[in-house]
Amino acid sequence: MAQSRPHIVVEDLRIGWGTRVLMEHVTFDVERGTTFTILGGSGSGKSTLLRHLIGLERPLAGSIDIDGIGVPHRYEGVPRFGVLFQSGALFGSMSLEENLALPLTTWTSIRGSLMRELVEAKLDLVGLGPFARHLPGEISGGMKKRAGIARAMMLEPELLFFDEPSAGLDPITAYELDQLILTLSRDLGITIVVVTHELPSIFLVADACIVLDKAAKGIVARGDPRTLRDQSNIPFVHGFFTRSSPAAAASHGVR
Amino acid sequence: MEVVVRADREGDSARLILAGPFDLPHAVTTAQEIANIEASLAGCRAVELDLAGVDDIDGAGAVQLAGLVDRVEAQGSTTQVLDEHNPKAARLIALYRQRRTVTPPVVPRPYPILARLGSVAGQLPRTLASALDFVGHSAAAAGPALTAPHTVNWRALPHLVQQVGADGLPVASGANLLVGLIIGFLGVSQLGRFGATVYVPELVVVAHFRELGPLVTAIVIAGRSGAGLASEIATMKVSEEIDALRAMGFDPVRWLVVPRCVALVLALPVLTWVGDLLALLGGMVATTSLTDMSTRGYVMATAHAITATGLLAGLIKTPFLALAIGLIACGQGLATQGGAAAVGARTTTAVVLSIFSVIVISALFTLLFALIGL
Repeated sequence: MAQSRPHIVVEDLRIGWGTRVLMEHVTFDVERGTTFTILGGSGSGKSTLLRHLIGLERPLAGSIDIDGIGVPHRYEGVPRFGVLFQSGALFGSMSLEENLALPLTTWTSIRGSLMRELVEAKLDLVGLGPFARHLPGEISGGMKKRAGIARAMMLEPELLFFDEPSAGLDPITAYELDQLILTLSRDLGITIVVVTHELPSIFLVADACIVLDKAAKGIVARGDPRTLRDQSNIPFVHGFFTRSSPAAAASHGVR
Repeated sequence: MEVVVRADREGDSARLILAGPFDLPHAVTTAQEIANIEASLAGCRAVELDLAGVDDIDGAGAVQLAGLVDRVEAQGSTTQVLDEHNPKAARLIALYRQRRTVTPPVVPRPYPILARLGSVAGQLPRTLASALDFVGHSAAAAGPALTAPHTVNWRALPHLVQQVGADGLPVASGANLLVGLIIGFLGVSQLGRFGATVYVPELVVVAHFRELGPLVTAIVIAGRSGAGLASEIATMKVSEEIDALRAMGFDPVRWLVVPRCVALVLALPVLTWVGDLLALLGGMVATTSLTDMSTRGYVMATAHAITATGLLAGLIKTPFLALAIGLIACGQGLATQGGAAAVGARTTTAVVLSIFSVIVISALFTLLFALIGL
């Protein structure tokens, strides 16, 4: 049955530019309805991998299937997944409600009061109901990200990609955003792929993860982040989850 | 499968039977079904929502059903969502109801044209004051720029001169060549009626050297470099680079505006001079091709018509035109607030104001020269 198949299947992906290979042998599955995190240090290629997953870049080799269909076909019709970019990527000349209405006016015949009702409901869902008529320049960074999530959800996708949702946010706002991700995943059953290196977010929202390492040019660990934190004997992974240097981890017996 | 919303009414209670897909692709149909059934619920004291037949639901469907429940309750009825057969649908409806906030509708205030005019007029003194403040600030920055050269980004000057001058040379030259050609054609057609085509070279020299050369070159540079400078500084402003300069103790006017204005002041006279030469070429091509005047005759007549006064009367105004373009472009860039849309708006304003000010300054110089008999 389609429902039992992984939502995303990535097989033997090689990413890079020309002859320069950034990562290779990247293989992983994302189960339907789970929150999956892509982890790694700065420059490890997390955001680049995300750009490949959403079809903005083409891999040198390998395949990415979403719902059994290759990613390059994603943009041939109504997008079936939503994306939150790091900055929120809202259109500065449009109010929040206009930003949210844009996918509906482009891809559906919904107009008028029904459109307003759906837009208001999504803004309420992310706690921005009273800011519907504000321009993106008039709200904070955390609010922009929440508005970006609401816009990504307007076409009711079953899959959402988040690029560094907590980056640059204060702990309370970051926690609220994590709670929103949990709501989307548990109450709405949406599959969520998050690129992050914020440890509190990882332990709160992630069901599974992969860890990328720049030196290894690929995935160095995969699984439940809590298990990896407690049991991994790879110095980089141990150092990543315990905020310590890999050299120190190695000297303490982590091989 | 189609969306079904049916009300089974018994006395003052009703049971809403919902069946089919309640998702985004069926949202319009769902809205119509809900609107049709809502009137039949009037006077009900208790309404039950039976979700057993709902075979697919997403956020859009849940929002519509949550709205229905809210409206029914607002009319004094009690509602119950029967969730035993479809807990997912019930959970979604509850989620959207729980998150709903009541925001008072914003009634757009009438904004008649007189009020708009008044608003613009009211802002005029402040706009004028900030423009004068910026000009004053720039003038005040010029002195310290010489006494403390390290506070100005002089290293950018060669690149800026190349951007404004060398890179702008083809378009400015092309425009001047064509204007010279036009004056030549006009001169031949109009002066030819009186048999006075011999005066066409003088017409080209006087019209272009004194007035059209500086004007055409400045308009081209205002459109090209003015837009470039304004958008560059506006982007720096919205990406907080200007704030970073301030935080590091730099005066953005001294660091950014002074070298750009200097580059324009250096480049515009040269571009005008090159443009003047090309205009002479254009005039010569037009005249020699339409009349029996020889190239040698045209060159001799042109050399006779060129005077130091005529050449300087044109070139002397170019630094002022350059300063106007630079100050307006940089001023608009530094005044930017907001995002990408504000960058575009300020760039447009910079180009429009630069071109207009170039025309005004040229007209003032012409008036001044007429008054002093130049």
